[in-house]
Amino acid sequence: MTSSAERPGYQLVATGITKHFRRTVVLDDVNLDVRAGEVVALTGENGAGKSTLLRICAGLLRADRGTVRVGGRIGYCPQSTGLFELLTADDHLVMFGRGAGMSRDEGLRRGHAILAEFDFPLREKLMTRDMSGGTRQKLNLALALLADPSVLLLDEPYQGFDRGTYVNFWDHCEKWRQANKAVVVVTHMLAELDRVDRVFELPAHASRQEVSR
Amino acid sequence: MISLPRVLSMSEMHGRDLLRHHFAVGLLIVLPLSFYFSSASQAGTHMFVAGGVGMAFSISGATLFSILSSREVDQRLVLSGYRPIELLLGRLLFLGPFGLLIAAGFSTLMWAISHPTRPWILVFGVAMVALVAVPFGLAVGAAVPTELEGTLVLIGVVGMQLATTSGAIASKLLPFYGARRLIDSSSHPNGPIAWPSLLTVAYALGLLVLARVLVSQRVSIQRHGGLSS
Repeated sequence: MTSSAERPGYQLVATGITKHFRRTVVLDDVNLDVRAGEVVALTGENGAGKSTLLRICAGLLRADRGTVRVGGRIGYCPQSTGLFELLTADDHLVMFGRGAGMSRDEGLRRGHAILAEFDFPLREKLMTRDMSGGTRQKLNLALALLADPSVLLLDEPYQGFDRGTYVNFWDHCEKWRQANKAVVVVTHMLAELDRVDRVFELPAHASRQEVSR
Repeated sequence: MISLPRVLSMSEMHGRDLLRHHFAVGLLIVLPLSFYFSSASQAGTHMFVAGGVGMAFSISGATLFSILSSREVDQRLVLSGYRPIELLLGRLLFLGPFGLLIAAGFSTLMWAISHPTRPWILVFGVAMVALVAVPFGLAVGAAVPTELEGTLVLIGVVGMQLATTSGAIASKLLPFYGARRLIDSSSHPNGPIAWPSLLTVAYALGLLVLARVLVSQRVSIQRHGGLSS
């Protein structure tokens, strides 16, 4: 058997992921492999553990059991718009860019280029609290993409997007595929599943088990 | 290794975020003033102590809320490349001087109005309040789950420091005890200076170490193993 560390072409290999929250098993021995240049839709009903799995893959949450291996830098876009309320988009780009070792100018240049692709209102120097939900989410997406990650973990990143931007987002998935990124998108939008390479459905809520005391 | 550009970036953005809370910044200044003026009719050092403790409330509160409100973003910043200690140092780099600036202005005002016996000790004592208030706010902010618990801890600790006399055992165990004794000493020709200063510095360092541990636990991420291509 080939070990997860020896999987040519794969950028993300999650093996045997198990996670409990109190007595509830949210993820039970889940395996998820994503190749470079592959877009995977992560689906499942509410509470199936989609966001939990993504957070574990990003390293933001520890699994109770299982391992995750990644082939490069991770970009993570959360479902909620957790940003500094009184900072502008530029402030965020500078700060997150610094994290990736970029200069102020480089962070702004790269960030503006990404935001422009999603029709972000760059001229309005709004603080995030004054932005619409969709505009905030565009910023979140840009922050995930800023350091040109090879693994993109996107948790319903199009929340609040207007129709045009929503379509644009799925067009971008195609671009990311061509750029050889491994992309995982949590989605409920079944109409768009033909735009992904593979659908990974987490087990339905009813199959989750209660852990015995 | 700690990256200075990342620490400076965090400090700058944290400062921008805090200073744009205009109403909160106003309250930061008004709160110790209101404590001071409302106690001005009382004899002895009580008004200085009340002012100093009021400042502990405002600086600890500002620090507490700054760390709690950014809880979600902090972990993403770590994912982007920051180290938890850089987030902590960045905040400290802004909040420390900011607290000392408020302390300098406030103690100068008390000096001008109330003429303490040893005014420089008053200035020093109020600065010591700021010195311990920042790591206290950081440690509490990193330890509690939400703003509600944090506020209650803050009210409990700082309120007890104000409510108890300096001779009470409970008072001696609280983080602002040394600073309080320094403020007391500003009105007494022979009041102690050395040991309350050392106690305050020890408390500040201890709280800083605690904040460092708690912040690391709270925002650290799991670095996954790599894949061979």
